[in-house]
Amino acid sequence: MPNKKLSIRIDGELISALEGQTILQAAKVNGKYIPTLCDLEGLTPVGACRLCIVEVSGIDRLIPACTTPIQDGMSVTTTSARLTHNRRISLELLFVERNHVCAACVSNGHCELQSLASAMGISTVRFAYNYPKLGVDLSHPRFLLDHNRCILCTRCVRVCADLEGAHVWEMTSRGIHARIMSDLNQRWGDSRSCTNCGKCVQACPTGALAEKGCAVEEMVKRTDNISSLIQRREVQA
Amino acid sequence: MHTASQERLSEGERAFVDQVITSRTGCPGALLGILESVQEHHPNKYLPVQTLEYIAAQTNIALSRIYSVVTFYALFNLQPQGDNTICICRGTACHTRGSRNLLQSVRLALGLGLEDASETSEDDKTLLTTLDHKYTVRTVACFGQCALAPVVEVNHRICGHVNERTLQREISTLERESY
Repeated sequence: MPNKKLSIRIDGELISALEGQTILQAAKVNGKYIPTLCDLEGLTPVGACRLCIVEVSGIDRLIPACTTPIQDGMSVTTTSARLTHNRRISLELLFVERNHVCAACVSNGHCELQSLASAMGISTVRFAYNYPKLGVDLSHPRFLLDHNRCILCTRCVRVCADLEGAHVWEMTSRGIHARIMSDLNQRWGDSRSCTNCGKCVQACPTGALAEKGCAVEEMVKRTDNISSLIQRREVQA
Repeated sequence: MHTASQERLSEGERAFVDQVITSRTGCPGALLGILESVQEHHPNKYLPVQTLEYIAAQTNIALSRIYSVVTFYALFNLQPQGDNTICICRGTACHTRGSRNLLQSVRLALGLGLEDASETSEDDKTLLTTLDHKYTVRTVACFGQCALAPVVEVNHRICGHVNERTLQREISTLERESY
Protein backbone atom coordinates (compact mmCIF):
# COMPACT_ATOMS: atom_id res chain seq x y z
CA MET A 1 0.00 0.00 0.00
CA PRO A 2 1.45 3.38 -0.91
CA ASN A 3 2.10 5.72 1.98
CA LYS A 4 -0.65 8.17 2.85
CA LYS A 5 -0.18 11.77 1.83
CA LEU A 6 -0.11 14.26 4.67
CA SER A 7 -0.18 18.01 4.39
CA ILE A 8 2.01 20.09 6.62
CA ARG A 9 3.12 23.70 6.72
CA ILE A 10 6.79 24.61 6.58
CA ASP A 11 7.42 28.32 7.20
CA GLY A 12 3.80 29.00 6.39
CA GLU A 13 3.89 27.28 3.01
CA LEU A 14 1.50 24.37 2.57
CA ILE A 15 3.26 21.25 1.28
CA SER A 16 2.27 17.62 0.99
CA ALA A 17 4.58 14.84 2.13
CA LEU A 18 4.41 11.10 2.60
CA GLU A 19 3.54 9.51 5.91
CA GLY A 20 6.65 8.18 7.61
CA GLN A 21 8.92 10.90 6.31
CA THR A 22 10.78 13.01 8.83
CA ILE A 23 10.43 16.79 8.92
CA LEU A 24 13.92 17.10 7.42
CA GLN A 25 13.11 14.75 4.51
CA ALA A 26 9.85 16.54 3.76
CA ALA A 27 11.64 19.90 3.84
CA LYS A 28 14.41 18.67 1.54
CA VAL A 29 11.99 17.25 -1.02
CA ASN A 30 10.19 20.59 -1.11
CA GLY A 31 13.31 22.67 -1.40
CA LYS A 32 13.29 24.01 2.15
CA TYR A 33 16.70 24.30 3.78
CA ILE A 34 17.36 23.13 7.33
CA PRO A 35 21.02 23.12 8.44
CA THR A 36 22.45 19.79 9.62
CA LEU A 37 25.81 18.08 10.12
CA CYS A 38 25.07 14.52 11.20
CA ASP A 39 22.34 13.77 8.65
CA LEU A 40 23.31 12.12 5.38
CA GLU A 41 20.61 11.12 2.92
CA GLY A 42 19.89 7.41 3.20
CA LEU A 43 21.57 6.80 6.56
CA THR A 44 19.61 6.16 9.76
CA PRO A 45 19.10 9.53 11.46
CA VAL A 46 20.51 9.81 14.99
CA GLY A 47 20.04 13.45 15.99
CA ALA A 48 23.63 13.93 17.13
CA CYS A 49 24.45 17.49 16.05
CA ARG A 50 21.24 19.29 17.13
CA LEU A 51 21.57 21.80 14.30
CA CYS A 52 18.38 20.75 12.52
CA ILE A 53 16.22 21.91 15.44
CA VAL A 54 12.93 23.47 14.37
CA GLU A 55 9.93 25.01 16.07
CA VAL A 56 6.66 23.12 15.83
CA SER A 57 3.59 25.13 16.76
CA GLY A 58 1.92 23.85 19.88
CA ILE A 59 5.16 22.37 21.24
CA ASP A 60 7.24 24.58 23.46
CA ARG A 61 10.60 22.88 23.16
CA LEU A 62 12.73 22.75 20.03
CA ILE A 63 12.56 19.54 18.02
CA PRO A 64 15.24 17.86 15.88
CA ALA A 65 13.88 17.72 12.31
CA CYS A 66 15.95 14.65 11.34
CA THR A 67 14.40 12.24 13.85
CA THR A 68 10.84 13.60 14.08
CA PRO A 69 8.26 12.01 11.76
CA ILE A 70 5.71 14.39 10.25
CA GLN A 71 2.12 14.48 11.41
CA ASP A 72 -0.90 15.73 9.52
CA GLY A 73 -1.50 19.43 9.98
CA MET A 74 1.91 20.07 11.58
CA SER A 75 3.18 23.63 11.31
CA VAL A 76 6.97 23.92 11.28
CA THR A 77 9.17 27.00 11.51
CA THR A 78 12.74 26.57 10.26
CA THR A 79 14.15 30.04 10.90
CA SER A 80 13.66 32.34 13.85
CA ALA A 81 15.77 34.32 16.27
CA ARG A 82 15.39 31.61 18.90
CA LEU A 83 16.50 28.87 16.49
CA THR A 84 19.49 30.87 15.27
CA HIS A 85 20.51 31.52 18.87
CA ASN A 86 20.39 27.83 19.79
CA ARG A 87 22.01 26.60 16.58
CA ARG A 88 24.81 29.06 17.15
CA ILE A 89 25.42 27.71 20.64
CA SER A 90 25.51 24.12 19.33
CA LEU A 91 28.01 25.08 16.64
CA GLU A 92 30.21 27.05 19.02
CA LEU A 93 30.30 24.12 21.42
CA LEU A 94 31.41 21.85 18.56
CA PHE A 95 34.33 24.19 17.94
CA VAL A 96 35.20 24.35 21.63
CA GLU A 97 35.30 20.59 22.11
CA ARG A 98 38.13 19.76 19.69
CA ASN A 99 41.04 21.52 18.02
CA HIS A 100 39.58 22.81 14.76
CA VAL A 101 42.40 24.65 13.03
CA CYS A 102 40.96 25.44 9.60
CA ALA A 103 44.13 27.01 8.21
CA ALA A 104 46.01 23.72 8.61
CA CYS A 105 43.18 21.35 7.65
CA VAL A 106 42.96 19.21 4.53
CA SER A 107 39.25 20.00 4.32
CA ASN A 108 39.64 23.77 4.52
CA GLY A 109 37.13 25.24 2.09
CA HIS A 110 35.22 21.95 1.68
CA CYS A 111 34.24 21.39 5.30
CA GLU A 112 30.58 21.23 6.28
CA LEU A 113 31.31 22.50 9.79
CA GLN A 114 33.28 25.43 8.43
CA SER A 115 30.72 26.39 5.78
CA LEU A 116 27.85 26.21 8.28
CA ALA A 117 29.76 28.38 10.71
CA SER A 118 30.56 30.98 8.08
CA ALA A 119 26.97 30.91 6.81
CA MET A 120 25.82 31.67 10.35
CA GLY A 121 28.41 34.42 10.68
CA ILE A 122 30.37 32.79 13.50
CA SER A 123 33.78 34.44 13.69
CA THR A 124 34.38 34.10 17.41
CA VAL A 125 33.38 31.62 20.09
CA ARG A 126 32.07 32.91 23.40
CA PHE A 127 33.20 29.86 25.43
CA ALA A 128 36.70 28.84 26.50
CA TYR A 129 38.36 26.27 24.25
CA ASN A 130 39.01 22.82 25.72
CA TYR A 131 42.24 22.18 23.80
CA PRO A 132 42.15 18.41 24.41
CA LYS A 133 45.31 16.44 23.69
CA LEU A 134 44.21 14.10 20.93
CA GLY A 135 46.00 11.70 18.66
CA VAL A 136 46.14 11.15 14.93
CA ASP A 137 45.90 7.59 13.58
CA LEU A 138 48.10 7.18 10.50
CA SER A 139 48.26 3.39 10.59
CA HIS A 140 45.94 2.84 7.62
CA PRO A 141 47.81 2.68 4.30
CA ARG A 142 45.41 4.99 2.44
CA PHE A 143 43.45 7.00 5.00
CA LEU A 144 44.01 8.90 8.22
CA LEU A 145 41.93 9.62 11.32
CA ASP A 146 42.45 12.91 13.14
CA HIS A 147 40.47 13.07 16.39
CA ASN A 148 41.15 16.80 16.61
CA ARG A 149 38.73 17.45 13.75
CA CYS A 150 36.03 14.94 14.69
CA ILE A 151 32.58 16.26 15.64
CA LEU A 152 31.18 12.84 16.65
CA CYS A 153 28.40 12.98 14.06
CA THR A 154 28.69 9.16 13.68
CA ARG A 155 28.25 9.31 9.90
CA CYS A 156 31.27 7.00 9.52
CA VAL A 157 29.79 4.58 12.05
CA ARG A 158 26.48 4.43 10.20
CA VAL A 159 27.85 4.33 6.67
CA CYS A 160 30.17 1.45 7.64
CA ALA A 161 27.47 -0.51 9.49
CA ASP A 162 24.48 0.21 7.22
CA LEU A 163 25.98 0.48 3.77
CA GLU A 164 29.28 -1.39 3.80
CA GLY A 165 28.19 -3.89 6.46
CA ALA A 166 31.65 -4.06 8.01
CA HIS A 167 30.85 -2.13 11.22
CA VAL A 168 34.45 -1.11 11.81
CA TRP A 169 33.64 2.18 13.58
CA GLU A 170 31.88 2.76 16.86
CA MET A 171 31.89 5.29 19.66
CA THR A 172 33.83 4.48 22.79
CA SER A 173 33.34 5.97 26.27
CA ARG A 174 30.88 8.79 26.72
CA GLY A 175 30.44 12.47 27.34
CA ILE A 176 33.54 14.56 26.85
CA HIS A 177 35.66 11.38 26.58
CA ALA A 178 33.70 9.97 23.63
CA ARG A 179 35.87 9.01 20.66
CA ILE A 180 35.50 7.25 17.36
CA MET A 181 37.39 3.95 17.40
CA SER A 182 37.74 0.88 15.23
CA ASP A 183 37.20 -2.72 16.32
CA LEU A 184 38.57 -3.28 19.84
CA ASN A 185 40.03 0.22 20.12
CA GLN A 186 42.73 -0.92 17.73
CA ARG A 187 44.67 1.20 15.30
CA TRP A 188 42.74 1.56 12.05
CA GLY A 189 45.51 -0.19 10.11
CA ASP A 190 45.29 -3.22 12.45
CA SER A 191 41.52 -3.55 12.06
CA ARG A 192 40.65 -6.91 10.55
CA SER A 193 37.08 -5.99 9.63
CA CYS A 194 37.95 -2.89 7.57
CA THR A 195 37.51 -3.45 3.83
CA ASN A 196 39.45 -0.29 2.84
CA CYS A 197 36.41 0.94 0.90
CA GLY A 198 36.77 4.57 2.01
CA LYS A 199 33.04 5.23 2.42
CA CYS A 200 33.61 6.58 5.93
CA VAL A 201 36.12 9.07 4.52
CA GLN A 202 33.66 10.33 1.91
CA ALA A 203 30.84 10.55 4.46
CA CYS A 204 32.84 12.51 7.04
CA PRO A 205 31.68 16.16 7.10
CA THR A 206 35.03 17.50 8.32
CA GLY A 207 38.67 16.57 7.82
CA ALA A 208 38.65 14.00 10.65
CA LEU A 209 38.71 11.15 8.16
CA ALA A 210 40.75 11.99 5.08
CA GLU A 211 42.81 10.45 2.33
CA LYS A 212 46.53 10.40 2.88
CA GLY A 213 48.66 12.60 0.67
CA CYS A 214 46.27 15.54 0.61
CA ALA A 215 47.68 18.97 1.33
CA VAL A 216 45.69 21.76 2.96
CA GLU A 217 42.37 22.41 1.13
CA GLU A 218 42.81 19.37 -1.13
CA MET A 219 40.39 16.91 0.49
CA VAL A 220 37.05 17.19 -1.30
CA LYS A 221 34.41 14.83 0.07
CA ARG A 222 31.92 13.10 -2.21
CA THR A 223 28.87 12.65 0.00
CA ASP A 224 26.69 12.62 -3.13
CA ASN A 225 28.34 9.32 -4.12
CA ILE A 226 27.31 7.77 -0.81
CA SER A 227 23.72 9.00 -1.16
CA SER A 228 23.35 7.80 -4.75
CA LEU A 229 24.83 4.42 -3.80
CA ILE A 230 22.21 4.07 -1.06
CA GLN A 231 19.44 5.07 -3.47
CA ARG A 232 20.51 2.48 -6.04
CA ARG A 233 20.67 -0.20 -3.35
CA GLU A 234 17.12 0.65 -2.30
CA VAL A 235 15.87 0.44 -5.88
CA GLN A 236 17.49 -2.99 -6.24
CA ALA A 237 16.04 -4.31 -3.01
CA MET B 1 45.08 -0.17 23.16
CA HIS B 2 44.68 -3.85 22.52
CA THR B 3 46.39 -5.96 19.95
CA ALA B 4 44.63 -8.91 18.41
CA SER B 5 45.42 -11.81 20.68
CA GLN B 6 46.17 -15.25 19.43
CA GLU B 7 45.46 -16.88 22.80
CA ARG B 8 42.41 -19.10 22.88
CA LEU B 9 39.81 -19.42 25.60
CA SER B 10 39.83 -22.59 27.63
CA GLU B 11 37.28 -25.32 26.88
CA GLY B 12 35.32 -24.61 30.08
CA GLU B 13 35.11 -20.87 29.50
CA ARG B 14 33.93 -21.38 25.95
CA ALA B 15 31.24 -23.79 27.13
CA PHE B 16 30.04 -21.24 29.68
CA VAL B 17 29.90 -18.40 27.13
CA ASP B 18 28.07 -20.66 24.66
CA GLN B 19 25.53 -21.58 27.29
CA VAL B 20 24.92 -17.92 28.26
CA ILE B 21 24.52 -16.95 24.61
CA THR B 22 22.06 -19.77 23.91
CA SER B 23 19.96 -18.93 26.96
CA ARG B 24 19.60 -15.33 25.77
CA THR B 25 19.34 -15.66 22.01
CA GLY B 26 16.38 -13.85 20.54
CA CYS B 27 15.65 -11.40 23.30
CA PRO B 28 16.34 -7.75 22.42
CA GLY B 29 19.38 -6.22 24.05
CA ALA B 30 20.82 -9.67 24.76
CA LEU B 31 24.37 -8.36 24.59
CA LEU B 32 24.20 -6.53 27.93
CA GLY B 33 23.00 -9.62 29.76
CA ILE B 34 25.58 -11.82 28.07
CA LEU B 35 28.43 -9.48 29.01
CA GLU B 36 27.19 -9.15 32.58
CA SER B 37 26.95 -12.92 33.16
CA VAL B 38 30.31 -13.58 31.56
CA GLN B 39 32.02 -10.91 33.64
CA GLU B 40 30.39 -12.19 36.83
CA HIS B 41 31.62 -15.70 36.00
CA HIS B 42 35.23 -14.62 35.62
CA PRO B 43 37.26 -15.04 38.84
CA ASN B 44 38.74 -11.55 38.43
CA LYS B 45 35.38 -9.98 37.44
CA TYR B 46 36.48 -8.60 34.10
CA LEU B 47 36.14 -9.19 30.36
CA PRO B 48 39.40 -10.25 28.72
CA VAL B 49 39.95 -9.38 25.05
CA GLN B 50 39.79 -13.03 24.01
CA THR B 51 36.36 -13.37 25.62
CA LEU B 52 35.08 -10.29 23.76
CA GLU B 53 36.40 -11.70 20.50
CA TYR B 54 34.76 -15.04 21.20
CA ILE B 55 31.40 -13.41 22.05
CA ALA B 56 31.60 -11.34 18.85
CA ALA B 57 32.26 -14.45 16.76
CA GLN B 58 29.45 -16.45 18.37
CA THR B 59 26.78 -13.76 18.34
CA ASN B 60 27.65 -12.09 15.02
CA ILE B 61 27.79 -8.72 16.74
CA ALA B 62 30.54 -6.41 15.50
CA LEU B 63 33.62 -6.20 17.73
CA SER B 64 33.40 -2.41 17.71
CA ARG B 65 29.79 -2.57 18.92
CA ILE B 66 30.76 -4.80 21.85
CA TYR B 67 33.70 -2.59 22.80
CA SER B 68 31.46 0.45 22.60
CA VAL B 69 28.93 -1.08 25.01
CA VAL B 70 31.68 -2.23 27.39
CA THR B 71 33.23 1.24 27.57
CA PHE B 72 29.87 3.04 27.83
CA TYR B 73 28.77 1.33 31.03
CA ALA B 74 30.89 1.77 34.17
CA LEU B 75 29.78 -1.71 35.27
CA PHE B 76 32.07 -3.49 32.82
CA ASN B 77 35.77 -3.90 33.47
CA LEU B 78 38.49 -4.45 30.90
CA GLN B 79 41.16 -4.87 33.58
CA PRO B 80 41.34 -7.64 36.21
CA GLN B 81 39.74 -6.52 39.46
CA GLY B 82 41.09 -7.04 42.97
CA ASP B 83 39.53 -9.42 45.51
CA ASN B 84 38.11 -6.49 47.48
CA THR B 85 36.52 -3.40 45.98
CA ILE B 86 36.53 -0.05 47.75
CA CYS B 87 34.32 2.43 45.97
CA ILE B 88 34.47 6.06 47.03
CA CYS B 89 31.71 8.51 46.14
CA ARG B 90 32.95 11.69 44.47
CA GLY B 91 29.57 13.36 44.20
CA THR B 92 29.06 16.96 45.30
CA ALA B 93 27.76 16.21 48.80
CA CYS B 94 30.53 13.70 49.52
CA HIS B 95 33.12 16.03 48.04
CA THR B 96 32.16 18.85 50.39
CA ARG B 97 32.35 16.39 53.28
CA GLY B 98 35.92 15.48 52.38
CA SER B 99 35.80 12.48 50.03
CA ARG B 100 38.93 13.66 48.23
CA ASN B 101 40.93 13.19 51.43
CA LEU B 102 39.40 9.74 51.88
CA LEU B 103 40.40 8.77 48.35
CA GLN B 104 43.93 10.01 48.88
CA SER B 105 44.33 8.29 52.24
CA VAL B 106 43.11 4.99 50.74
CA ARG B 107 45.53 5.37 47.87
CA LEU B 108 48.38 6.00 50.29
CA ALA B 109 47.34 3.15 52.61
CA LEU B 110 47.23 0.63 49.77
CA GLY B 111 50.40 1.91 48.12
CA LEU B 112 48.69 3.21 44.98
CA GLY B 113 50.42 6.58 45.03
CA LEU B 114 48.81 9.99 44.81
CA GLU B 115 47.13 11.49 41.79
CA ASP B 116 49.41 13.00 39.22
CA ALA B 117 48.64 15.80 36.81
CA SER B 118 47.78 13.53 33.89
CA GLU B 119 44.95 11.92 35.82
CA THR B 120 43.30 15.12 36.99
CA SER B 121 42.48 16.03 33.40
CA GLU B 122 40.21 13.00 33.15
CA ASP B 123 39.27 12.72 36.80
CA ASP B 124 35.64 11.76 36.39
CA LYS B 125 36.64 8.16 37.02
CA THR B 126 39.46 6.56 38.98
CA LEU B 127 40.10 2.85 38.81
CA LEU B 128 43.18 1.43 40.46
CA THR B 129 44.13 -2.09 41.46
CA THR B 130 46.99 -3.01 43.76
CA LEU B 131 49.80 -5.06 42.28
CA ASP B 132 48.92 -8.11 44.42
CA HIS B 133 45.31 -7.95 43.11
CA LYS B 134 43.96 -7.72 46.64
CA TYR B 135 42.24 -4.34 46.36
CA THR B 136 40.58 -2.24 43.71
CA VAL B 137 39.88 1.41 44.44
CA ARG B 138 37.33 3.13 42.24
CA THR B 139 35.21 6.24 42.32
CA VAL B 140 31.58 6.82 41.45
CA ALA B 141 29.69 10.01 40.62
CA CYS B 142 26.94 9.52 43.22
CA PHE B 143 25.46 6.66 45.23
CA GLY B 144 22.25 8.53 45.94
CA GLN B 145 23.02 8.37 49.66
CA CYS B 146 23.95 12.01 50.10
CA ALA B 147 22.46 12.21 53.61
CA LEU B 148 25.17 9.75 54.69
CA ALA B 149 27.98 11.74 53.06
CA PRO B 150 30.79 10.94 52.72
CA VAL B 151 29.86 7.47 51.49
CA VAL B 152 32.21 4.59 50.77
CA GLU B 153 31.17 1.19 49.46
CA VAL B 154 33.30 -1.70 50.70
CA ASN B 155 32.60 -4.94 48.83
CA HIS B 156 29.08 -3.77 47.92
CA ARG B 157 28.30 -2.74 51.51
CA ILE B 158 27.51 0.96 51.93
CA CYS B 159 29.23 2.74 54.81
CA GLY B 160 28.01 6.25 55.70
CA HIS B 161 29.68 9.17 57.51
CA VAL B 162 33.08 7.69 56.83
CA ASN B 163 36.22 9.37 58.10
CA GLU B 164 39.83 8.39 57.61
CA ARG B 165 39.89 6.39 60.86
CA THR B 166 36.80 4.28 60.13
CA LEU B 167 38.02 3.69 56.59
CA GLN B 168 41.38 2.55 57.95
CA ARG B 169 39.51 0.17 60.25
CA GLU B 170 37.55 -1.26 57.31
CA ILE B 171 40.77 -1.92 55.45
CA SER B 172 42.38 -3.67 58.42
CA THR B 173 39.24 -5.82 58.77
CA LEU B 174 39.58 -6.85 55.12
CA GLU B 175 43.28 -7.47 55.70
CA ARG B 176 42.48 -9.80 58.63
CA GLU B 177 39.73 -11.62 56.71
CA SER B 178 42.05 -12.40 53.85
CA TYR B 179 44.31 -14.45 56.10
